[in-house]
Amino acid sequence: MLEVLGEILTLSRMLMALLGVTVGIVFGAIPGMTATMAVAVFLPLTYAYDLMTSLFLLLGLYVGGISGGLVPAILINIPGTPASITTCFDGYPMAQRGEGARALRIGITASLFGGIFSLLCLALLTPPLANLAIKFSAVEKFLVILFAMTIIAALSKGKMLVGIFMGFSGVLFAMMGTFNDNNKLRLVPEMLSKPLIYGFALLPVLIGLFALGQMFEEAEKGMKKDTSNGDLLKKNAAKFSIKDFKGQFINIIRSSALGTFMGILPGVGGSAASLIGYSQAKTFSKHPEEFGKGSIEGVVASESANNGLTGGALIPLLSMGIPGDSTTAVLIGAFALQGMQIGPLFIRNNPNLWYSILIGLALCNILMFVIMFFPIKYIARIINIPKQRLYPVILLMCVVGAYACNYGVMFDIWSLIIFGVLGYLCIKLKLPATPFLIGFILGGDLEKYFVDALKGSNGNLSIFFTRGPIAWALWLLILVSIAFAVVSEIRDKKKANMAAA
Amino acid sequence: MRDFYAYKYSTSHLFFPKIIITVLIFLGLCIILPKLIKAIKNKQPLFPKDKKFFIENYDKVKLFGTLILLVLYFLALEWIGFVPASLIFIFLFNVLYCGTKPQSLLVSGSITVVSVILTWLVFGVIFNITLP
Repeated sequence: MLEVLGEILTLSRMLMALLGVTVGIVFGAIPGMTATMAVAVFLPLTYAYDLMTSLFLLLGLYVGGISGGLVPAILINIPGTPASITTCFDGYPMAQRGEGARALRIGITASLFGGIFSLLCLALLTPPLANLAIKFSAVEKFLVILFAMTIIAALSKGKMLVGIFMGFSGVLFAMMGTFNDNNKLRLVPEMLSKPLIYGFALLPVLIGLFALGQMFEEAEKGMKKDTSNGDLLKKNAAKFSIKDFKGQFINIIRSSALGTFMGILPGVGGSAASLIGYSQAKTFSKHPEEFGKGSIEGVVASESANNGLTGGALIPLLSMGIPGDSTTAVLIGAFALQGMQIGPLFIRNNPNLWYSILIGLALCNILMFVIMFFPIKYIARIINIPKQRLYPVILLMCVVGAYACNYGVMFDIWSLIIFGVLGYLCIKLKLPATPFLIGFILGGDLEKYFVDALKGSNGNLSIFFTRGPIAWALWLLILVSIAFAVVSEIRDKKKANMAAA
Repeated sequence: MRDFYAYKYSTSHLFFPKIIITVLIFLGLCIILPKLIKAIKNKQPLFPKDKKFFIENYDKVKLFGTLILLVLYFLALEWIGFVPASLIFIFLFNVLYCGTKPQSLLVSGSITVVSVILTWLVFGVIFNITLP
């Protein structure tokens, strides 16, 4: 075991993790830049390295990006990433009391707990899930993806239909280009038949959606600086001590577990994870009245839940090839660039890579803690970095990434604009972009398994219902998720009507 | 109807897209129809006029400037290559976002030169990645 560890943990990889975590924290801490964007922008760097080294960088960006969001959430009441929304609720009141440094350190420590907890879940849950998934035939594989799509719908609060509509639109986009079975082109206008012969490439789609779309939105807002009112760290208020975590044990375990669980569900991002962690902590708290007024419990719940997401989102990715959130969807891009298929056989065929993911994730969590916990005063200054100076440089990276993914196709750069505008429209019209991306990534497989299953049964649709217990269980899950979606939709509507009346 | 959705090898490339488009139309109707019915019932327009697409006082120059500069930048990439096009346009993006005060221009210039040359060196020369 130690030998494997030594083999995996080379100096250059540790440095890559350090670079990833540091840059990730900066992306996370600047409002308007997210972890997903950090990973998307840095994908091109991975062309130059082997997959293992690249993964250390990307995992670092992921962990750093999710964790960095707490800095502006606490100091200026603006979440750095959507995952830190609930950290604002209690972190900012603490900062106003002059306990900014304390709140930051509590958040950082909770993040570490959440990250490590989800890592353990990842290590324990992925192999059995993968072993189950290996037995899947085309029917079950199709149903698993269908289940992923219905889950997206079930959890897009109040937007069930819109969520699933976006998911299937992604599937439709994935279908553009040549169909492998009979080599015929489809869904492509005549004039674009040449550049779109293989359809849209994944990288321009995701860079466009998540980096350029955001850039347009920031441009609309005028690229203004989010102002902080005064230095919230200087006052000599209550300092952080490990005693702050007294009585938080159950809270931290519950929030981390909820975060991890939300991570496992496909298409559900960090904001949902931290919201559910926070609301459950409030429900079970002995002092629910303190929530929103600077409760330590609230910061702990929010931050352990959103870092719990990191390991959780990797579970369906590494066991079945289904990304758990938008950032892991981008990670698929990294595997695809290296010509690697992720699926049930991934762990069995690449044990070293699997261990390096676990070790890398552990290392990144520890690095995140060390980098953020001690030099807290300097970390707090990150929020002063002017993003209007960063965006042009990010654009440069986007261009390089989009162009390089197919070794120099100019059309890929033009797709950047197409999906950048689409990403911007999604933000403006409040359409969820993550289901679209997941539908786009899984669309090809969804079709392949559906057609394969039908071929196996000579076109008889009943094959989807007669394959056996696993398929039945999946049907049940699909029905339950749809039922859940419909019931919660109706309940929300009733609540809204009550509030209106 | 049955024929339309039947699986045949020669048209198998359209088989699944037909199903997906059907699903999308169905979902789209489910989203639009209730809104339409509600709008007709309450005699309101489907798209209320007080709802605006852009935020109030949105930055027209920066938003549309970004889009226009992007298109020009990508065209320039094709015409004059990565380094010259980037030097010009990354500078212009900086100017668009940060203004034209002399000191700001100096910062814009240095950021542009450093980032473009660095990107070119790291990706194009050291890693040998294809640049436009």
